Amino acid sequence: MGDGLGGRVNSDHGARFRIALVIGGAVMAYGIWGVLDDARATHPGSLFVYVVGADLVHDLVIAPVVCIVGWLLTRVVPEPWRSPARAAVLISAIAVVVGWPSLRGYGRARVPDNASVQPLDYSTALGTVLAVVWLGTAVWATVRVTRRRSNEDAGNA
Amino acid sequence: MTHPHWTLSELHDERTAALLGMGLGITFTICFVTGLWSHLVQTPPSWFSRPPRPAGLYRVTQGLHIATGIAMIPILLAKLWVVYPKLFAWPPFKSAAVAVERLALLPLIGGGLFLAFSGLANVNLWYPWPFGFKEAHYWAAWITIGALIVHVGAKWTVTRSHVARRVPPDAGSGDRRAFLGTVAAAVSVVTVATVGQTVGPLRKLALLAPRRPDVGPQGFPVNRTARAARVTVEDGGATYRLTVTGRVARELSFSRAELTGMDLHQARLPIACVQGWSASANWRGVRVRDLLAMAGAAEGASVRIVSLQESGAFRSSVLQPDETRDGDTLLALEVNGEPLHIDHGYPLRLIGPNRPGVLQTKWVTGLVVE
Repeated sequence: MGDGLGGRVNSDHGARFRIALVIGGAVMAYGIWGVLDDARATHPGSLFVYVVGADLVHDLVIAPVVCIVGWLLTRVVPEPWRSPARAAVLISAIAVVVGWPSLRGYGRARVPDNASVQPLDYSTALGTVLAVVWLGTAVWATVRVTRRRSNEDAGNA
Repeated sequence: MTHPHWTLSELHDERTAALLGMGLGITFTICFVTGLWSHLVQTPPSWFSRPPRPAGLYRVTQGLHIATGIAMIPILLAKLWVVYPKLFAWPPFKSAAVAVERLALLPLIGGGLFLAFSGLANVNLWYPWPFGFKEAHYWAAWITIGALIVHVGAKWTVTRSHVARRVPPDAGSGDRRAFLGTVAAAVSVVTVATVGQTVGPLRKLALLAPRRPDVGPQGFPVNRTARAARVTVEDGGATYRLTVTGRVARELSFSRAELTGMDLHQARLPIACVQGWSASANWRGVRVRDLLAMAGAAEGASVRIVSLQESGAFRSSVLQPDETRDGDTLLALEVNGEPLHIDHGYPLRLIGPNRPGVLQTKWVTGLVVE
């Protein structure tokens, strides 16, 4: 399988890369200096854990879960429904991620006397967003199915 | 070319990665520039003078920062998914250059995910970590954009040729179109569901935003309540005084009633929070420059605005010379035709054009001319 990419050269390690490495390396060094210089506020140790932890959580949890869900959808949902089903699941997941802190009311719990923080009923709000997403993808799926059927009819004629 | 089927191989092609990468490059750059701008206006170094005009500039740049950051979440996750099989490329390093390039992915991906997560948490007033958000987010952004520069250096050529379709795509374009269309739809959904926290006409659609620009005392949000700031106004403000001191010809002291009897000026100005919400209001109060003239301060002086709030990073703020000269820089007594609610800064608050919300100091009790 080689590099898994068909052996195609997909990076450039010439002069442009070396210049970018020098500039980008200097910028990274400035950022690391800033973290260490302001250690009382940045807590370098735990910031490191969060950044590397984000890598690990993505690579070991999020991506495998997405792969499994994607594989299940491939197994369970036939074309031409598959792409709309994938879209509905993916957009819903993103909406849940963005709405999660509001849904859980984390901010409001921190400042309970501030009624302007997370003022909505977020289970209704998120439910509404998800309903719109599934309705939209259902319309898309119907259009796909109808179009495919009419193409087949035209092919059979 | 074959991939293990569990990676949904048909989506993992270079053109998809290139297009998403370009989207990320653009959105990340917008976030970085607007973030630097916010940092600059919040903590101006000696060489920088915060421009008071246009009055709504910070509202736009910070609204853009948050909206772009939220829009970036689906693009980032989609991009990581598309390139996920590369994580298992074997051998991992064919050369020193590849090793360096791959090593830079650690701060790039970890930093990108951290910036998106910490930013989303911060706009929700959620702090599940021990460090200071502002400092950690700021310095992590420098590290991440450094790693991005390295990555762009390695990927510039291949990205350009894939975007310009100079190389044939790996897989069926129908699947790619459906996938990219899905990502675009996800971007649209989260944008429409949050951007109304700063774009007033869309406020009813802001179902996933932690703020509504029309919800709060007197019809707009509050960042810090009087109770949270431990501010109390005794006797309904009967003993309240505003003092003007420092480098002045004569020190002044006013009761709230005396201020109300002065020549009042009205201005329509936005409160624009670093957390991405904003709301315009009609403010009425005393011009700072009029008070300075009465006290005999030098024209174009800097002024420290001091709050009744006894502790906290934002208990005082500085008006720079261009801001004290601006006729719309007010010590407001009223908003939208009513005396200020205590959570909006009663008895008196600062409101000035193009200042970040945290610098619109509330519960003002002193002006110290510097």
